[in-house]
Amino acid sequence: MTTPSVSITRRLVVSVLLLELLAAVALIVAITVHERHVQLKAFDASLAGDAESLMGAVQDAEDQGDNVMLDLRGVQLNKHAVYRVEDERGQVLGSSGDPALLSRAILNPPGFFEAKAGQIGYRLFVLHGVRTIDPGKPTGGISHKIRIVYGLPVGHVWHEVIEAIRFFAIATAILLGVTAILMVVLVRRHLAPVHELAYEADRISSRNWQFDAPLSAKKTVELRPLARALEAALLRVHLSFEQQKRFTSDAAHELKTDVAIVKSSLQLLSMRRRTADEYSAGLAQSLDDFTRLERTVEKLLTLARLEQPAESDKGDGTQPSCSLRNAVEEALHQSRPLAELKRIEVDVEALDAAAIALDGRDALLLCSNILVNALQHSYERGKICVKLARRGTDVVLTIQDWGEGISEEDRPYLFDPFYRGDISRSRKSGSTGLGLSICKAICLRIGGSIEIANHPAGGTLVTVVLPAYKRISTTRELSA
Amino acid sequence: MRVLLVEDEQRLAENIVAALREVGLAVDHAADGETGSHMAEQGVYDAIVLDLMLPGKSGQSVLHDMRHRAIHSPVLILTAQEGKESIVELLNAGADDYLSKPFDLGELLARVKALIRRGKGTSTSLLRMADVELDTVHQTVLRRGETIDLSPTEYRILEYLIHRPRAIVSKQELLEHLYDFAWEHHSNVIEAHISNLRRKLNLAGTEPLIETLRHRGYRLTGGAPA
Repeated sequence: MTTPSVSITRRLVVSVLLLELLAAVALIVAITVHERHVQLKAFDASLAGDAESLMGAVQDAEDQGDNVMLDLRGVQLNKHAVYRVEDERGQVLGSSGDPALLSRAILNPPGFFEAKAGQIGYRLFVLHGVRTIDPGKPTGGISHKIRIVYGLPVGHVWHEVIEAIRFFAIATAILLGVTAILMVVLVRRHLAPVHELAYEADRISSRNWQFDAPLSAKKTVELRPLARALEAALLRVHLSFEQQKRFTSDAAHELKTDVAIVKSSLQLLSMRRRTADEYSAGLAQSLDDFTRLERTVEKLLTLARLEQPAESDKGDGTQPSCSLRNAVEEALHQSRPLAELKRIEVDVEALDAAAIALDGRDALLLCSNILVNALQHSYERGKICVKLARRGTDVVLTIQDWGEGISEEDRPYLFDPFYRGDISRSRKSGSTGLGLSICKAICLRIGGSIEIANHPAGGTLVTVVLPAYKRISTTRELSA
Repeated sequence: MRVLLVEDEQRLAENIVAALREVGLAVDHAADGETGSHMAEQGVYDAIVLDLMLPGKSGQSVLHDMRHRAIHSPVLILTAQEGKESIVELLNAGADDYLSKPFDLGELLARVKALIRRGKGTSTSLLRMADVELDTVHQTVLRRGETIDLSPTEYRILEYLIHRPRAIVSKQELLEHLYDFAWEHHSNVIEAHISNLRRKLNLAGTEPLIETLRHRGYRLTGGAPA
């Protein structure tokens, strides 16, 4: 299944065009309303004007009854116009158009209204007026009340309105097209820093970690955080990659050296025919060499396992836990022969009950690594002080020796895999250079810390701070 | 011939030293770069086997300082690194050969011997001087086609002399190049070995091969080497 791609350019252009379209529709609606109003007003004025003209065309009939008549000479009427002119007696003076519509319409009060005749809609105007015959006479003349209805097909007005709408619609369509093209060009141009950033980022590889965010991206407010984040992330990845690379290279070096020893031991043995005793001694030596290779592999695997995320500890998702006091006691027990050999006094100051979220073997590994280190770097007939105490929600293990201490030069690298400070710490002392790395990995695994420092009395002080195990019931059970 | 091994890995060094001694070479061992550098600067080694990753002073700096002080002993580098660049760099810096760990002990011996030969200006493992033929691989000596049975020390003296035909080799030089620090050495031991060597090489109807120059040393005579 492929992820549907989303284009910011397209989205931007579509959004802007939609907004423009919405604005255009609103404009057209407003124009329609306005145009209709204006057109109707003009239409009504022309209706009223024409009706007045008709009123003006009502003349003296010059007959006996002083009647009036409609004289349309000189009056210009729209050819589609309908009208009917009546006097007060209902006498039709003139008419044109649908009689049914007009006879009904003329009864309306004066003013404008709309009506339909068949398919055609009309706007009509009713005008009432008075026509006086012979006003100069002493009697004051005869007044006739005249009623006029005059109408025109309203379709004409709508035609004008539609024309206006069409004009605006076409103009809007052209505007939208031009805007779309301009938008695409401009958005592309303004998004160029994104492309430059992507191009620069694309050049990063395990061979080339050089990444300098392009100036265009750094200048762009929206891209600045991304460029910075990229630079920072890359730096971290680079460091971690280099660390990994160094570790792999160091591990390969260690393994190759151990293999070289085993191989050379056996080859030396087979260089010529030897006595049974020589063979037997050689095989014993080779076995020792193999054991060392085995130990290096084991430690490497332990370190690799410890550096895996902690979630994979147990399949069922439960946290492992153990008593750190038990682990310290076991480590003390295991290292007793070495302590006795160097006649070192091991002073246990305190051993509080302390449960931690670690597998028992890892806890033992941690304690015995630190303890053996302290013993190895102590002088003969020296002293070591071990203390395990609770401090708030933490468990603090300190192991102090009065040995040679550590040089300031070595301090930053003490926990680096395979780091062996001076010659005295080199391989011949039997260390693989992984012990402290393993200790650190164990501590970090449960969010703890380990520190090594020289104390003023001369010698090393190792401080391990681990969070206490949280499940109280289990803690009680373990500390029992 | 005397070889210096600079290797911090104790067990590996033990094995290499034992193997080199088994093929009749005198071997000194330095466990760190600083010591190795000092020892190399004495200029008595016919070949130097140098590990790169050393505590203190690295193999690279040992090599650099050595060449800087005009010590021309051939150098074989031992490395566990893969990178070709560093090998090229080392060869350019004056190394003569290199071997990757884990190496074959037999190959190491063969390369060291080849380096010693080349250092003496010879390219074959078969050395000839007049009617004497010395096979450095099998460590056998023939004179006029007849096998001459020599003790390891006698063989080493003859090999050293054959490498320096017609040159006067002092007792001190022989001591320096044939014995390592592990040996008790006295100059009268050399005299005894030379006398035995002369006796064994002296077949009926042959010219004496080794000439003694009073207070100066020994010289191999009898025509140019083949």
